[in-house]
Amino acid sequence: MVNAIKGLYISCDVPMAQFIVSLNASMPASQKFILHMLDSTHMFVQPHVAEMIRSKISEFRDQNSYEKPA
Amino acid sequence: MAGDGDRGRPSKKLKTFGKGLPSSHGGDDDDLAFAEEFDEDSRGGERETKKRDFTKLELKPDHVNRPLWACADGRIFLETFSPLYKQAYDFLIAIAEPVCRPESMHEYNLTPHSLYAAVSVGLETETIVSVLNKLSKTKLPQEMIDFIYASTANYGKVKLVLKKNRYFIESPFPEVLRTLLRDDVISRARISQYEDSHGDAFTISKTPGEIQASHGELLNGAELAAAEEKETHSFEIDPAQVENVKQRCLPNALNFPMLEEYDFRNDTVNPDLNMELKPHAQPRPYQEKSLSKMFGNGRARSGIIVLPCGAGKSLVGVSAACRIKKSCLCLATNAVSVDQWAFQFKLWSTIREEQISRFTSDSKERFRGNAGVVVTTYNMVAFGGKRSEDSEKIIEEIRNREWGLLLMDEVHVVPAHMFRKVISITKSHCKLGLTATLVREDERITDLNFLIGPKLYEANWLDLVKGGFIANVQCAEVWCPMTKEFFAEYLKKENSKKKQALYVMNPNKFRACEFLIRFHEQQRGDKIIVFADNLFALTAYAMKLRKPMIYGATSHPERTKILEAFKHSPDVNTIFLSKVGDNSIDIPEANVIIQISSHAGSRRQEAQRLGRILRAKGRHQDRMAGGKEEYNAFFYSLVSTDTQEMYYSTKRQQFLIDQGYSFKVITSLPPPDSGPDLSYHSLDEQLDLLNKLLNAGDDAVGLEQLEEDADDIALQKARRTSGSMSAFSGAGGHIYMEYNTGKGKQGALKSKPKDPSKRHALFKRRFN
Repeated sequence: MVNAIKGLYISCDVPMAQFIVSLNASMPASQKFILHMLDSTHMFVQPHVAEMIRSKISEFRDQNSYEKPA
Repeated sequence: MAGDGDRGRPSKKLKTFGKGLPSSHGGDDDDLAFAEEFDEDSRGGERETKKRDFTKLELKPDHVNRPLWACADGRIFLETFSPLYKQAYDFLIAIAEPVCRPESMHEYNLTPHSLYAAVSVGLETETIVSVLNKLSKTKLPQEMIDFIYASTANYGKVKLVLKKNRYFIESPFPEVLRTLLRDDVISRARISQYEDSHGDAFTISKTPGEIQASHGELLNGAELAAAEEKETHSFEIDPAQVENVKQRCLPNALNFPMLEEYDFRNDTVNPDLNMELKPHAQPRPYQEKSLSKMFGNGRARSGIIVLPCGAGKSLVGVSAACRIKKSCLCLATNAVSVDQWAFQFKLWSTIREEQISRFTSDSKERFRGNAGVVVTTYNMVAFGGKRSEDSEKIIEEIRNREWGLLLMDEVHVVPAHMFRKVISITKSHCKLGLTATLVREDERITDLNFLIGPKLYEANWLDLVKGGFIANVQCAEVWCPMTKEFFAEYLKKENSKKKQALYVMNPNKFRACEFLIRFHEQQRGDKIIVFADNLFALTAYAMKLRKPMIYGATSHPERTKILEAFKHSPDVNTIFLSKVGDNSIDIPEANVIIQISSHAGSRRQEAQRLGRILRAKGRHQDRMAGGKEEYNAFFYSLVSTDTQEMYYSTKRQQFLIDQGYSFKVITSLPPPDSGPDLSYHSLDEQLDLLNKLLNAGDDAVGLEQLEEDADDIALQKARRTSGSMSAFSGAGGHIYMEYNTGKGKQGALKSKPKDPSKRHALFKRRFN
């Protein structure tokens, strides 16, 4: 019998995929959100995590970029 | 779980970073970019709240012909395309601090220090205001005029004089001296000859007539009248307190900045040194200009001259020594540059072999005769421990002598406490500091104002590039994506100490580096320097690519050997340098720099490294604007994307950007079709490298620790990237090349020094 899961398909570059994987790994078992790792740049995740991932990524990027104090 | 800590950690780190360096991250807006006067923060604070609305400023009808915008908050903007640019630039650089100088529009800032410097090179208050008014498009704001008057009013009333190895504070106005003595610091520093003297008993002496004659040029009417009284009042101060006294007199304290001039022509006490510039030494226009600022009124002023690396700072130094013609003490940062300075003196001047001596741990020479030039390092003079008998004697001589000129190379390193000691130990009539980068990550740069003197001259980098005096450098930032495996490790919490090593050893970066080396060696026949601060990376890269390398533990003879080979052998076209190569190692042949790792966000290091390739190459006419070669030097900074390195890299570039350089971003290096010719193509190789890296101890992958780092202490404290634990506990084992004579040398002759990362843990401490 076919099992349909509603989810979110993420396509990104290699390092960001790794970032999301490590994010997933840091969650307690009940909150793990990656359903399938398709390949190194694509994954299938639970539908409700989009905002969370976005905010974590932007936080991460902010830490790595320097803005000249103005 | 691991990832959770991951996310927690970097954010904490950055917060600490921000807290650690409040001055550079905090309130002040535009000015962190350059060697800024941090103690003017109060002004900076006001500025923030003030709205920047300048619509009220009145435009002059002929504003099109005038090059300046002067704003009430002390900032001045200069249009470089104006026909009056050259004149306006020369004037502005004398009175204001350059903040940012891109191609078409420069920004300057008026500060009390910069005005102090202006008056000290002979500009009068009236002249400053009237010239500024003439050049400005708008009516000069009243605030600015008031500010100029307030900052310059007291200048020139007090003089610091060195007579027969004793320091005196002189003034024609006894009431000014009394004001000074009311200050705690100064009254404590005073040495009284009579027990009963209380404040008002000054030594009164007649000043010789001819000195007053030249006074007229410098001082304004009021002081001239005073000088006619032919009386100077003076009191003696403790030599050890000179620095503190000078600091108290600066504009932000008592506001009686002291004039330090040396009337060397009339100095009959100290013996003359017979040296002239050789006829082939022809100073370039900007070198002349900087010297004229120093010797403006026939005397020698103490101060700092800022010229980009490779623009001929040594010639300026040697010329200054030749004008003063007295004994000269020349201080450099390390033994290699001591040799270079000694060579420069012989090259440009007619000084005789026996009149110049080098004083380092390896060569303890003494000059014969009663005057001469001594070249030594800051470390040798400031060293506090026990010395050998030889050096003790030489140091005694240095201490007891009255030097005509104290020449300080790479003066931006001086503020570190041990270097300040140097200045208090040596007694000199005149101090000249030379540097390319008057910028530090800590706030100590303002200390130079009282340690040495005001900034006398600062060249504009882009103008020198246009004139063909320094190389035209293409700066590029190469973005290397992290590989999957390396990035996964980078994100793990337990690897937080190895983060730096992980992004430096990123295989994509390695391949980009290898590609660039091959391209420049084979296609262009260039000479390449590769910089890596991280010792693990340095050795790994150099071993894999089979290139020679120099780092802290490399002995002096071996360094010389490698540098000679790099200069002359056609087979050695690439060398790897750790940060020992940042300053003052003169490698004129090199024209490509590849930077694979760096000292966090240090703007100075970036500029100094760029300086290694700034010496102009090729024929002069090719280099001029519109000549054959657009770019003749290349500066690559390899950066692993998505890591902290991106943050540091952008910060590091700020200084160069303020000098008008622009960085090109390259994203596709090496080209995708370059397969297995480059190393680490296969996943297996990459994993092998990763394994090696993860198994290496935390110590081995950390930063190289050098004695010379002392000046960036603030930075070290504020950041929390990979560093060795032992270094924090104080057992870091500083590698100190000046003093490891004997042992190190013999070892180097027999075999290359063993890679410290491979040494057994028990022996590590012994060998460091």
